[in-house]
Amino acid sequence: MLELQEVTKAYPGLAGERPVLAGITLTVERGESLAIVGPSGCGKTTLLNLIGTLDRPTRGRILLEGRDLTTLDEPALAEVRNRAIGFVFQMHHLLPQCTVLENVLVPTLATRNEVLRDGAPERARRLLERVGLGHRLHHRPGRLSGGECQRVAVVRALINEPRLLLADEPTGALDRASAETLAQLLAELNRELDLTLIVVTHSPDLARRLHRTLELRDGVLRQPAGAG
Amino acid sequence: MSLLRLILRSLLFYARAHLGTALGTAVAAAVLVGAWVVGDSVRGTLRDLALLRLGRTTHALASGDRLFTAGLAQQLQLGLTQAGALRPGTPPPVAVLQLPAVAVNADGTARAHRVQVLGVEARFWALAPEPPPFGELAADTVVLNEPLAAQLRVQPGDPVLLRVQKPQALSPDAPLAPEEDATVALRLRVQAVVSDAQFGRFSLQASQVAPFNAYVSLTHLQARTAAGPRANLLLVAGPSPLPAPQAVLAGNRAVVAGPLTPDPGRPLDTLLAQRWQLADAQLEWRLLPSARALELRSPRVFLDPPLGEAIFGTGPGDTNALTARLGREMPGVTTTGVLTYFVNELRVGERVTPYSMVTATGPPLAPPDLGEDEILITDWLAEDLGARPGDALTLRYYVVGAMRRLEERAATFRIRGVLPLITPGLDRDLMPDFPGMTDAENCRDWDTGLPIDSTRIRPRDEEYWRAHRGTPKAVIRLSAGQRLWENRFGNLTAVRFTLPAGTGRSAADFERAAQSYRLGLTQHLTRRVPPAALGLRFEPVRDQALAASTQAQDFGQLFLGFSFFLMAAGLLLLAVLFQFSIERRAVELGTLRALGFRTGTIARALLTEGALVAVAGAALGTWGGTGYARALLQGLSTVWREAVGGTPLQYHATPEALAGGAAAAVGAALLTMALALRRYLRLSARQLLAEGGQTEAADAAPGAGAARGPLRWAVACAGGALGLVSTALLKPDLAAAGLFFGAGALVLGAGLAGSAAWLRALGAAASAARLTLPGLGVRSATRQPRRSLAVVGLLACGAFLIASIGVFRLETGRAMWRRGSGTGGFALVAEATQPLVHDLNTPAGRDAYGLTAADLEGVSVVPFRVRDGDDASCLNLNRPQKPRLLGVNPELLAGREAFTFARRASPAASTPPWLALRRGSGGPPDEVPAIGDAASIQWALGRKVGEGIEVTDERGRPFTLRLVGAVANSILQGSLIMDEAEFVRRFPSIAGYRFFLVDAPPERLEAVATTLTRALRDLGVEVTPAARRLAAFNAVQNTYLGTFQVLGGLGLLLGSVGLGVVVLRQVFERRGELALLQAVGFRRRALRVLVLSEHLALLGLGLGLGVLAAALAVAPAVITAGTAVPWTTLGLTLAGIGINGALWTGVAAETALRGALLDALRNE
Repeated sequence: MLELQEVTKAYPGLAGERPVLAGITLTVERGESLAIVGPSGCGKTTLLNLIGTLDRPTRGRILLEGRDLTTLDEPALAEVRNRAIGFVFQMHHLLPQCTVLENVLVPTLATRNEVLRDGAPERARRLLERVGLGHRLHHRPGRLSGGECQRVAVVRALINEPRLLLADEPTGALDRASAETLAQLLAELNRELDLTLIVVTHSPDLARRLHRTLELRDGVLRQPAGAG
Repeated sequence: MSLLRLILRSLLFYARAHLGTALGTAVAAAVLVGAWVVGDSVRGTLRDLALLRLGRTTHALASGDRLFTAGLAQQLQLGLTQAGALRPGTPPPVAVLQLPAVAVNADGTARAHRVQVLGVEARFWALAPEPPPFGELAADTVVLNEPLAAQLRVQPGDPVLLRVQKPQALSPDAPLAPEEDATVALRLRVQAVVSDAQFGRFSLQASQVAPFNAYVSLTHLQARTAAGPRANLLLVAGPSPLPAPQAVLAGNRAVVAGPLTPDPGRPLDTLLAQRWQLADAQLEWRLLPSARALELRSPRVFLDPPLGEAIFGTGPGDTNALTARLGREMPGVTTTGVLTYFVNELRVGERVTPYSMVTATGPPLAPPDLGEDEILITDWLAEDLGARPGDALTLRYYVVGAMRRLEERAATFRIRGVLPLITPGLDRDLMPDFPGMTDAENCRDWDTGLPIDSTRIRPRDEEYWRAHRGTPKAVIRLSAGQRLWENRFGNLTAVRFTLPAGTGRSAADFERAAQSYRLGLTQHLTRRVPPAALGLRFEPVRDQALAASTQAQDFGQLFLGFSFFLMAAGLLLLAVLFQFSIERRAVELGTLRALGFRTGTIARALLTEGALVAVAGAALGTWGGTGYARALLQGLSTVWREAVGGTPLQYHATPEALAGGAAAAVGAALLTMALALRRYLRLSARQLLAEGGQTEAADAAPGAGAARGPLRWAVACAGGALGLVSTALLKPDLAAAGLFFGAGALVLGAGLAGSAAWLRALGAAASAARLTLPGLGVRSATRQPRRSLAVVGLLACGAFLIASIGVFRLETGRAMWRRGSGTGGFALVAEATQPLVHDLNTPAGRDAYGLTAADLEGVSVVPFRVRDGDDASCLNLNRPQKPRLLGVNPELLAGREAFTFARRASPAASTPPWLALRRGSGGPPDEVPAIGDAASIQWALGRKVGEGIEVTDERGRPFTLRLVGAVANSILQGSLIMDEAEFVRRFPSIAGYRFFLVDAPPERLEAVATTLTRALRDLGVEVTPAARRLAAFNAVQNTYLGTFQVLGGLGLLLGSVGLGVVVLRQVFERRGELALLQAVGFRRRALRVLVLSEHLALLGLGLGLGVLAAALAVAPAVITAGTAVPWTTLGLTLAGIGINGALWTGVAAETALRGALLDALRNE
């Protein structure tokens, strides 16, 4: 499903290039769920951004379903982000001017697939029902709790039926109860929708619910200490 | 969900944020709409005035000093009616006698010069926009227009005196023109005062200034001015185009029916060519039974050269000449030219016969083989001089030079033979009708305008005059006479058509036959000579007037220029506020990018949203723009009235101006938004999501190298400025003012680039050794270098424009006495209603006007001939169609080195620039050099030096006035100046001088002005100090500059609002940081110092840069002696800008720092 080959990302600094990711190689199978953990500033979000095509690696290749994303131009990458990948951020980034339902439907505006677009409202309702927000369809984000907003963000990420869902600290800004609910939801969705899920998190609880956990440290991925 | 829905949702949600965008667009729209509506209003007002001054007149024939018969109007009416070109209800053609005059009220306390007296019939009023309720004017009454009545302070019933210039058949400049009184006084009672709508504005000249008009009875004016049943102005109302010519068969010949020339666009000229009579060109036939001839002659004495050319051809072999065709069409008729001249004496040895006529002619009077140096004398003269064939005979005669200077010349001939006085063809009719001579009973009564020494006249001469009048005493060959006496009025005084021998056995038969020949010859001549060549030509005055108003100075563009800074400030405000709004939505942009939206889709959505806001703003601005236009028009009617010559402007708004202004504002707003948005669209989704609006600091590359780019620009700009200044100093011929202004602008650019470099360098600098609070504040300016630079740029540009424009105000100071100044060093300018023909620089000339040597001691005059036309000065808003032309002897100005030339067609020439007016021998024959005031050329005429202006001369021949030089900012505004020699060649019948530049000692300026005004009162001479005239012209430019400064000031005011907004935003963004400083012990006052020091540093930097750049730009003006720099105004303006900026900064800082700052820390 997803393959990273010797992916390196470096940023220019006062003392020359400073590598954040140093030759990461990773394979994630379809339907697999992966937690990436590590200390703050270790490059977890950078790695997720590279997978999500929000950033480009300095070196190395990223293949999604066999397609090398590093060779694509910006419009093609936009298409990939719109159709193949769903993204959930630490902050929900819902559009305050739109209702819950509209927020969920926003990604469909960028797709040219009419079938997908036509079925989107029904799919949005169903998914919102699924995450327990069926009664909040016409509410604005300002009237929702943090946990609810994040659940809307998850539904928004799923509206175009992506095969890969990326979540960057999805519970980081939530209280414990909401975080637990969201962690549960992500795990269930992974299972129900046969969705490949990669989550960057500090939360051991969330990581525990996923198939695999890797730790990012010193720019490379490794099995976390104490993991069997 | 659709993109439109998303856009609408965003539009509503961010409505408050959009207010700034809407406001900026509204300002831009208001400025654009306002400026264009002002343009519409000026054009509309001028159009209204043009239609008021012409009424229903569409075409006019103005023949000036030439008088056509009043019957020409009837002939044209008949022709138009027959051709079906006179629509029902259209007034018929109207003949008017138009003469210049001076008007005085009853007690002589009020005078008006350059009054237009119009002799009119009742039907003249039918052409008025709103005909007044009176018809034929009584002989003793006059109707005045409102300006003239106001000037004379008279009302209906009051008496007025009009001193009217009589039409002169013989130009006062011509040899033998009499010294008789050229004016006649009419004492009349004011019958009514007509309004503009009642034709009070009637004038053929394109000017928004109403003339002084006095309307009198046509027949009365004709009678009092001895004009006979003649007129010199023919007005026609809208004829339909004539049908195209058609060939029809008449017998076995194809005859062209309809107009002669297939030009349906000029039906009147076609009709005129068909219908004019010789009498309309003041030509007449005289039957000479004794000579068996018909003579064509004119009370104008000389026959117009086109007539001679039509009869005799332009050279040998001209088959088109009448003489070439007469042999076939009128067999037996012979044609002879006649030139009879007055000679001072005929001398053979010691014996002299004074004051005689000599005729130059051909056969039959002179034998064909008469040599160029041979002369035939009458038996009377032979006896008087004791002369015999073979003797040498010397003629002495006068030729008239400029300013009527007489030059006596001599020519010697060999006597070939003696003619008996009874020789057929040798008769008194050979002498033309010299006014003042023909009717004199004896020689001592001659009034010839020549100095006649009556003591030389012997009883024998009186006897001859009584018996034979002007019968010539000698005859020479025509070509010999033309060589001696040809002048600008012509080279023939008559043409004799000798009829075939045997025509008419009895006197009555001869007369009948001659009548038939006369008709035939008349037809030949009227068909052969185009009336335009004799000064009879229709001008499409209505089209010209409308063109003058539509091509007028574009006040729309002018005010757009004046308001440019205001619009720029509005758009800058829009850009700043829009950018703030985008910054707020940076995360939203990032989210959309992360969700797969393409950059283009996001841009379209945001710009559509912006466009909707801009449309709303533009709608508001359009409404506001009409108010802005009304305010500007109010300004132009009051404080800026000099800019429009005091014309009250009417509000006119076209849908194009309103829609165009709104659309342009939306376009400008969208462009501004696109530019503001571009930077955000370049950022990646990661940057947008991670850093939100705080992207700038991340953009700025760290390190000292960051300053290198702007520094390079700064050095390049400074180098460019240095180059321009060096060029200006090394080549003084070039336009130094322009170069220095360019250098100033480059210094401004260098300063701004330097500021950018400084901000970047400061941002990247290592820790300061000692941190101070203001230092910390100034350093804060580096956080958002673009914003800081925008503030500096706005203030610097504003200060530069206002400071540099302020110094361009034109002042007439002590420098006016310098020859190089705008007055040319002349003390006075005089303009006359009626021409002066004598030279005021000579004792004789002064004496002719009753002036003594003491009166004009130390005074010298440069006289100009004047061809009236449209005022081409900045006081006339219309685009001059026929600019006023002046003719001057260029040496008079070259010798004085008068005026400064702003531009010359060939600046390398070492000759004095005024001598460029002299036509070189190699130049094209139809090109005449001309010089004008730079402002007249550029703004009034819309031309450049080197370009040509098409002009038609008195004989209907087009020629090009090639602009060879432009005089800088001078009293010569309003006219184009050509060489007098060319002037008289092109406009021979314009007599005398009507414009004068006068040198007078400064201490006697008032006395000289009073003396000239008094002595030349009857000629309507108005004397103005040259400095005052220059000040009147300068007032226009100064008003423009004032307008620019006021509107620029408004722009700066708006710009300082922008500064306030930036301060507010900056402080709000940093509330957390400021709260932290408060938390660590900073007092609120210290925070205020921190905030203010940052923004006051930017304010000071902006103003300083602007003033520095302006100082360089205006250096030449300041250094030039006599240029008064308005230090006070300038200082106050700049101080105003500084205080205003500081005020807004203070208010913004205070607002932002108000409240509990520490809350911000808690929120963080």
